[in-house]
Amino acid sequence: MTRFLRTVIGHAMALSAGLVLVSGVHAEMSRLEDGDLASVSGQGGIYLSGDVSINELGGPVQNSYFGSCSDTAKKCGARLAYQLKENGGWMVLDDIRGKFSFEGLTLKVRDIDSGFGGDGELFNRDVLEIGLPNIVRFDSVEFKVATSSTARPTDPGFQQTDIFSIQMQGDVMLEGNLLVFPTGSP
Amino acid sequence: MTNREIRFMQSVFAYGVLVAWLPMAQAEMQSLAESDMAAISGQGGITMEMDLGVTADSISYFDDGNGIYLENFRIGSASTPGGEAHHVIKLDIDEDASLNLDYLVEDRRIEFGDIRLAGAPGVSMGGIFFDHSVEGGLKISPGGALGGNGFTFDSAFTMTGGRLGYRTNGNEVFLDDITLDVEALGVTLDVSGGAVLLEAPSVVGSYSVGAIRYSNNPLNHGNSNDVTTGQLLASYGSLSGDFDLSSHTEIRAGGRDGVQGLRVDNQTTINSANFIYRDDGNALALLGITGSYVINDLRLDITQDWQGRNALGFTLGSLSGDININRIEMGGNGKSIGQLNVSFLFEDHVFNGRSYTNAVYLQGGGHQDAGTQGLRLATEWSLSQADLSYTDNGNGVVFSGLQSWGHGDVTINVTRAGNIGTTEFFDGIRIGFDDLEAGYRMNGLRVGDEDAPLQGGTELLLAMGVYPAYDFKVDGHITLGAGGASGEGLTINSDIQIRDGHAALISAPYDEGTGEIPQKGLWASDLNYDIHVRDMTVDVTDDGFAVIKGEAWSTMDIGNLRIGDKDSGGSFGRFVVQNYEKGSSMTIVPGGAGNLCVGGSGADAIACGASGGRWEMRGDEGITIKMKQVFAKAVSDTRKNAFTWETNRELGGDGQPVNDTGMKVVLNDIYTGDGGDIDGDGIDDNTFGIQTDLSVDVYQTRVVKKSDGPDSAGVVGNRGDEIIMDASTAAGYRYVASPTSADIDSRPLGFAVQARAQFKELSINNVDLVHPVGGAQTAIYGAKLQNFDIRANLTATPIQ
Repeated sequence: MTRFLRTVIGHAMALSAGLVLVSGVHAEMSRLEDGDLASVSGQGGIYLSGDVSINELGGPVQNSYFGSCSDTAKKCGARLAYQLKENGGWMVLDDIRGKFSFEGLTLKVRDIDSGFGGDGELFNRDVLEIGLPNIVRFDSVEFKVATSSTARPTDPGFQQTDIFSIQMQGDVMLEGNLLVFPTGSP
Repeated sequence: MTNREIRFMQSVFAYGVLVAWLPMAQAEMQSLAESDMAAISGQGGITMEMDLGVTADSISYFDDGNGIYLENFRIGSASTPGGEAHHVIKLDIDEDASLNLDYLVEDRRIEFGDIRLAGAPGVSMGGIFFDHSVEGGLKISPGGALGGNGFTFDSAFTMTGGRLGYRTNGNEVFLDDITLDVEALGVTLDVSGGAVLLEAPSVVGSYSVGAIRYSNNPLNHGNSNDVTTGQLLASYGSLSGDFDLSSHTEIRAGGRDGVQGLRVDNQTTINSANFIYRDDGNALALLGITGSYVINDLRLDITQDWQGRNALGFTLGSLSGDININRIEMGGNGKSIGQLNVSFLFEDHVFNGRSYTNAVYLQGGGHQDAGTQGLRLATEWSLSQADLSYTDNGNGVVFSGLQSWGHGDVTINVTRAGNIGTTEFFDGIRIGFDDLEAGYRMNGLRVGDEDAPLQGGTELLLAMGVYPAYDFKVDGHITLGAGGASGEGLTINSDIQIRDGHAALISAPYDEGTGEIPQKGLWASDLNYDIHVRDMTVDVTDDGFAVIKGEAWSTMDIGNLRIGDKDSGGSFGRFVVQNYEKGSSMTIVPGGAGNLCVGGSGADAIACGASGGRWEMRGDEGITIKMKQVFAKAVSDTRKNAFTWETNRELGGDGQPVNDTGMKVVLNDIYTGDGGDIDGDGIDDNTFGIQTDLSVDVYQTRVVKKSDGPDSAGVVGNRGDEIIMDASTAAGYRYVASPTSADIDSRPLGFAVQARAQFKELSINNVDLVHPVGGAQTAIYGAKLQNFDIRANLTATPIQ
């Protein structure tokens, strides 16, 4: 499978998980003691740790708008623009930069047929378990929310209004497990 | 087998060995009885010179009444059509009655123009030719390993100017400029227990193949240069290597079917071997190969396959072995990916309720549109157990419990580009799949060695594009053309259709120690996958292994993305991923991340530590993959990048969801770009694509406990404690709050990935919501992502 396919499937999973969470019905978060896993069949999965940075030194585009982070006259972050109305303006997340670190994100398929105060036996299904890392560290994460007349900042007639900026620094506690499973008609 | 039959077989075999080492001397030599030779001493010897030309319309072999015909048999000159091959043979008899033969054969071709099976009119397997000059000696002494009734052979020869080719329908592929040196001393031949025993304590040699050439000109036949243009024929590359083997072989009468046929049992030890493939001088080298294998109960019959088609059948009882490759080098810098070991056992096994065996039934014909000549292999395989071990700078990971099975037809033709009937052919060796049903699965990972506890984590292979488990039906072809991006190499054209597939994205073990169970996982089920590749070149370059795609498009239609069981697990719905790339490339470079700072910055350990990072020295082995994926703008409904998720489908009469009856969200026409018309030709440029560098090492990783108390193995620790491997404990590890330096050296192994992905522009033309009755409504009229540079240092460890 190409990286593109894997990426899209990964996005699909994230989207699926996101939508399930939005429904507020089909996903649960609860901390499990490690000992609970002793009764779980189908052990497997992976444990991920590491850090991810976006445009720490700048991006690959060098033009009148984008440049190196050492060039204060230009923006070195990434940019996302999307258009909600045909021939309308563009919503923009601009100058996206920062670094995330985490330790102990787990991913596995789990069969729940016991526990959870007796609810597990009634549930009796397989789920995708995303074990959340205890801490996600944000290091100089920032972006701007803006509106723009064009998709690219180098397009003719480009105008942009920066509405507000967001900066994040510090630790976010994420404990427990995210259980994702399908419901309804596929 | 009666004593008379055994004596006859012994004589035939000795005669056959003599003929093999002294090709075609039998036309002039009279056989000598042993008693005659015993009485001869002090002879000056005999020298024979001859120019040999032999032709035969057909040589037939019958097994239980079924025949195979080797047609248009010829021995003669390799360089002069209709000419003769020159032979010089010196025969001498020593005082111990041993027979000495010195021989010189020049410019000889042995050829079968065609191979046919009785009962299969109109089709054939194609022709084989073998050109060579050979000089050597053979000594045959009385007495084998078991006593005076056998023989002992000492042989050494050098073959030069060799050519071995396969030809179908006027197109041919051949090994050109073969040189082979072999010394086999003390080879014994005996008969015991109804079997011919062949003991080869030492077979040592080396070889080289100057080029592997392809011709689509029917006028060429074993020519290095095209006879029409004078140009050197395109080459797949060259080969060289050496070997030191010892073996024990038993040959018996009697096949799998009927009373006639042949049975072969063999044990071979690879004391040492090296294999090198070169592409324009750049090497892909498998060095320090050692191991052994055992062939048990291999039978040869002229018989029928499971569809009643006449065939030359090879059926196998079992094949087991253990092969180790000490270094895998690529490119010009002599760097190694690491060490590879594979142990395997092919034997009958039941997969998914169906029994599989190991058999190949050779038939004539190949692909039905390619012409009358070709090979069709009705094939079934059953790999019941294999372990694949990869070691990077002494750190080992075992992909444990690999199983594979398959059943169906594989066709082989040498083809030339063009359309015949409804089939498009390309220049090269066409490997076709005709209703082939196949699959594989892995049980889990073992870290360290094969005795370590079974763990999850096979999904880490997804980073390399390999599913942990996959079963499917497949039709289509892969055609391997000669010549790469420049000079030697491969050019691949392929059309593959996968049906009714199940691909695991995450998988649990199929055997947790108490017998096989249905494998749980996250499955791309009810999978139909069409994949097309045009002009993809594969080369070994100075950097490593380079793949450049000309044009590639595919549609991956996942009928149900299921969790749990692959057939009955809950479904997230249908996902369709369409892919269209032009000018994408990938390079595999030996060596991983090397020395790096994780979690900080700095060019050495001190600077890294000062920045709060951790300095890691991951060694000189490992793998780095450099990818460039250029997603092209849509040119049709089948050649575009798009993603569709469909749910709430109506159920059909069989209770299964019917595609295109539900609600969909569609991300349509996704493509990369350089951010505008940089070169001013009026068209937005698209050359940068998404560029991704992945450096992968097997390395020690920090794994912390996520909650207080005992874990699944009953090992007690507190939240935040590190796992430290400790063979002296029952579980093989313990938890440590503050690891010492010695503890840190015993951190668990996992995959360490240094990654960087960057793109200038990625666009989505529109995002639609589609109602089965109301049609499509556009939710987003375009999205554009620009100037992304994402870097990551990740460690992935199997969960215990």
